[in-house]
Amino acid sequence: MAEKMELNEIEVWDGNYAASQALRQAQVDVVSAYPITPSTPIVENYGAYVANGYVDGEFVMVESEHAAMSGCIGAAAAGGRVATATSSQGFMLMIEVLYQASGMRLPIVLTVVNRAIASPLNVRGDHGDMYAGRDSGWVQIDAFNAQEAYDLTLCAFKIGEDMDVRLPVMVHQDGFVTSHTAQNVKPLSDDDAYNFVGKYQPYEEMLDFTKAVTYGAQTEEDWHYEHKAKQHKALMDSRDVIDRVFAEYKELTGREYNRVEKYFMDDAEVAIVALGSAVETARYAAEELRAEGIKAGVVAPRCFRPFAFDGIREALENVKAVSTLDRSCPMGAMGTLFNEVSAALYTTEKRPLVSNYIYGLGGRDFSVAEAKRIFKEQKAHADAGHITTPIQQFSGLRGPKLGFFETKRGN
Amino acid sequence: MAITSIKNLKEFSTANERFEGAHLLCPGCAHSMIVRELMNATDDNLVLASATGCLEVCTAVYPYTSWDTSWIHIGFENSATAVSGAEAMYKARKRKGTLKDPDAPVKFVAFGGDGATYDIGFQWLSGAVERGHDFTYICLDNENYANTGGQRSSSTPIGANTSTAQAGRVSYGKKQKKKDMVAIMAANGAKYSAQLAPNKWKIMAKGFQKALETEGPCFINTVSACTTEWKFNPKDTIHITDLATDTLMFPVYEIIDGHELNILYRPKNIIPVEEYLAAQGRYKHLFKPENKHVIERIQKDIDAKWEYLQRREEARV
Amino acid sequence: MSRGVLATEKRGMRELGAEEFVGWDEVTQGTILPSFEKDVDAAHVRPEERPYSDFNSYTATVASWRVIKPVYNRDICIDCQNCWVWCPDTSIVSRDKQMLGIDYDHCKGCGVCVEVCPTNPKSLLMFGESEETEEALAKWPEKKKKAK
Repeated sequence: MAEKMELNEIEVWDGNYAASQALRQAQVDVVSAYPITPSTPIVENYGAYVANGYVDGEFVMVESEHAAMSGCIGAAAAGGRVATATSSQGFMLMIEVLYQASGMRLPIVLTVVNRAIASPLNVRGDHGDMYAGRDSGWVQIDAFNAQEAYDLTLCAFKIGEDMDVRLPVMVHQDGFVTSHTAQNVKPLSDDDAYNFVGKYQPYEEMLDFTKAVTYGAQTEEDWHYEHKAKQHKALMDSRDVIDRVFAEYKELTGREYNRVEKYFMDDAEVAIVALGSAVETARYAAEELRAEGIKAGVVAPRCFRPFAFDGIREALENVKAVSTLDRSCPMGAMGTLFNEVSAALYTTEKRPLVSNYIYGLGGRDFSVAEAKRIFKEQKAHADAGHITTPIQQFSGLRGPKLGFFETKRGN
Repeated sequence: MAITSIKNLKEFSTANERFEGAHLLCPGCAHSMIVRELMNATDDNLVLASATGCLEVCTAVYPYTSWDTSWIHIGFENSATAVSGAEAMYKARKRKGTLKDPDAPVKFVAFGGDGATYDIGFQWLSGAVERGHDFTYICLDNENYANTGGQRSSSTPIGANTSTAQAGRVSYGKKQKKKDMVAIMAANGAKYSAQLAPNKWKIMAKGFQKALETEGPCFINTVSACTTEWKFNPKDTIHITDLATDTLMFPVYEIIDGHELNILYRPKNIIPVEEYLAAQGRYKHLFKPENKHVIERIQKDIDAKWEYLQRREEARV
Repeated sequence: MSRGVLATEKRGMRELGAEEFVGWDEVTQGTILPSFEKDVDAAHVRPEERPYSDFNSYTATVASWRVIKPVYNRDICIDCQNCWVWCPDTSIVSRDKQMLGIDYDHCKGCGVCVEVCPTNPKSLLMFGESEETEEALAKWPEKKKKAK
């Protein structure tokens, strides 16, 4: 029987430690994992829990991240709660298997500590890995600080294991800025956390021997399309379950989470759309600018997948100028948030001005001052009635200004 | 472990089949013979995994499955890891008391072709064996990437014609030696590492039973004669396998705990390898005068390996 | 109507590829396929008594793969089970150590059974697919004499 931990009402945890505590409290049956910066401490902390009797389940230290997710799939199909953690190169190595996990509709929780993708090699935080997995069929939720890393990891189990969902779930957090920054975290007690997540309910498990099941069948041209469409629908429909789980969590803890987070948006004229720790930076900037008379607001599509096409549209349709911040270099196109937000706003009457900033790559700091500068640029667009700069720009880049494409909308 | 009696074939035949027909494997495919021998060797519950390859592609195409036990296919590299995860889950759930039938015996078996085992899934297999999971890995070795049309793998022997290491005007086919997975797995920590052949059904069934009964990771390389890529008439699968074992191209032996080597089959008459090569289209180019030296090389390698096996068996190391 | 050795209603019901193409709403979740319709401990239940699901390939037939087929001669057979152990298609039916015959729903006509049959004359021989069993048996060869 696993030992329980007595936790303080307020703990001082970094994002990694917070995530690992959530994994421990969820009483995961199998963690199959491999270390990689900056997510390594999640795996190490978990190893410490195992070594000291706080974990009843199995901890399988595999030989690569691809094997980590493969082991998770085998374990999940065998009918129990499964989780792991990774970043960057490990995430890239795992990508083949991510698609396999979701295609097989297996609830698995993956805590991703977002880090840049090589080459060149970089261990710091950016969203290259998050974006690389966007079509993998997983529910994907983003935590902006350590408290959220803890809360959302617990929620992830409940969402993924719901019988109306049965999909794997990623919880993202920024490498180093969140994962290695100690902050105040209010945890639940072991009992409250586990009771919230609930007991694992198996579905078509391989260890029910009188009900032989085949996992991973091949589908050719007569069947593949229907299966993928069904999976897509399940991911789309998971929105209702995510909302319900967030509502339940709010009732338990008082902390509110939304698939689309809105800060100062009621009367906002200019907005920043971002993910990760930059959301908090933008919030500071917006608050300061409000004092100067600029109606700035921040929108964060916290639930990155399924993407809240409607929620984003609703949050931004009355804004005059929107800047989407992408912490990953799109290489030859506009950034992912720019594309997804623009697509949603294209179906509105007013069609706000949308521009794109690439920022913070490889751990480059994103300051409040820079966020304010971006807001002011939005104000200039709004006042002119059109985008007055290149549509895509690079924020905080040394060297000559880099920008791409001009708007065709004049005054 | 509940084993089927293999005293003789009549006893063995009383097993209840758990591998169904109307799969898509080629007529005469040895994969199926091997899988049936495994599944009939025990009446324990089985949790099986297959790597992408002939076996997987032919036995689980939606909406059909030929498996009467739980079975999972993830991808090409990772059948050993799939089973690692399932075995870990079994241990966890047994400890926590959440299994439906906690006393029901179960064995974990992963299958992979030589492509999956020797090449793309090598790391995954090595990791699973090193971690000591209680499972058996069976390589269905047809010495090429058969499912995709016969490309070379590191199991392809010297001189074989494959679609990538082709025999042509300036080449005699594969130039590299076949990797010795039995030795590698023994060194990797497999509690039992063996090479078995389906024509020697009793030795194979016994070896399977031994592996299933052994606690810990076991590796078995099985000779799987491939009518399509080795290029012989489907009816001759067992005949070709007889030549394989009697020429000692495929010696049948086991290594217990990494050091105790036992030869399990000693041909009454060792047949020259030329007879084995002559029976398969994939080697026919070796009979051109300019390639005769390859046949000599193959015979030399076989003789050396047989000598080595006998010496090691004698030395008990 | 006799459908062959130990054929249940479900065996070889449909040709591979002739299944009904249902929509996205009816395909199984995650392409997971249940082998049986009801709980069964397959290792301890004979195939003819199992509740096969329509997803089990047992319910499909590959008879159309054949151009030649093995015919079984019960009179000559010694129940050695060679054909049983080496049939790649689980198409040699043996119960209680006795050979019963060939499952023509699943036999692909590979000819391995004939090759491994040890009797003289053989107890299994290949004939054209359209040959009637009775006619084939009537044509059965005599014992082969050993060459001097």
